[in-house]
Amino acid sequence: MMARDIIAGILCAVGTFFFILGTTGLLRLPDVFSRLHPSTKCDTLGGCSVLIGLMVHSGFSFDTLKLLLIVAFLLVSSATCGHAIGRSAFVKGIPIWKKGLEREE
Amino acid sequence: MKKFFSLLFIAALAILLLYVVSNMPGMGEEDVPTRQNVIPRYLENAEEETGTENVITGVILNYRGYDTMGEVTVIFTGLAAVIAIIGRERRGKNYAYTDLSEIASSVIVRIAIIFLAPLILLFSFYTILHGDVSPGGGFQGGAIIGASLIIFTTIFGLWESTSRIPQKLRFPLEGAALLSFFSVGAIGIIGGGNFLTYTLPRLTTSLQPAVRTWLTLLVEIGIGVGGAMVFISILFALLREEGGVVGY
Repeated sequence: MMARDIIAGILCAVGTFFFILGTTGLLRLPDVFSRLHPSTKCDTLGGCSVLIGLMVHSGFSFDTLKLLLIVAFLLVSSATCGHAIGRSAFVKGIPIWKKGLEREE
Repeated sequence: MKKFFSLLFIAALAILLLYVVSNMPGMGEEDVPTRQNVIPRYLENAEEETGTENVITGVILNYRGYDTMGEVTVIFTGLAAVIAIIGRERRGKNYAYTDLSEIASSVIVRIAIIFLAPLILLFSFYTILHGDVSPGGGFQGGAIIGASLIIFTTIFGLWESTSRIPQKLRFPLEGAALLSFFSVGAIGIIGGGNFLTYTLPRLTTSLQPAVRTWLTLLVEIGIGVGGAMVFISILFALLREEGGVVGY
């Protein structure tokens, strides 16, 4: 019971770390494409780590299956979302940031 | 200078709000209002009196049934106002799927929507039908149906959506929520009770729990389907296609 709690805690902490990292990147990075990179990590790496931690915590029960389904749908929808935003930004011709250029506000 | 004054104003506001918050009763204390009046009664008796394990569904559909009926009327009136001001949707004359958006949607997005939209729909039915046991219910399920149709329409356009849910189908179902409420209320009167009582005194006592569950389920399904159709109709009414026609 103790070992399971510790593993769950570590996984949740890793997930939270990725969420903080993603939010920082979203606020600090210069253009759409580089912001998209950390913000998609929030959902996939961060969210999945937290959910896997919860799966470890709940043990082998019906809740584990529900959490597994949430992970699967999160992976599908979040990846698609990132692709759609990045693609439309690229097709629309939003300028890509290069070193030395002014940071867009 | 302007910054200084706004900071001063925010600080004054923060002090005032913190002062008010500090005077509020603490979480979980004995004398908080939520522990004294009607809520303990709900929590103790709801399962027995309403026959629903989910207390919130019991409160919404049973104790405060009249209030929910009013809310359903408000949603229906909202749709009526939208239709009265901007009219029904106008579907274009090109009878096939054409992507008219500025940036055509990619194959990945389309496949993901084809994969996800039916599952979202399935989840919404679960939310509606399981509403008396687990969190959920008619309003939430209806909103989820609406959401699945919204993502479908944004990718595949008005033509594909209206082929699946034509106006002829939506037209009678938009009033489903109101109709189910009023018919269940009328059943209450016929059964010898008041309007919108789920317990019918004229029935034998052994039948009453089953009838109560089924009537609750009927109202849930009515709210879900009616709400979803109202959302979808409002969404479609906002969409116009080139050279559109009304009524098909």
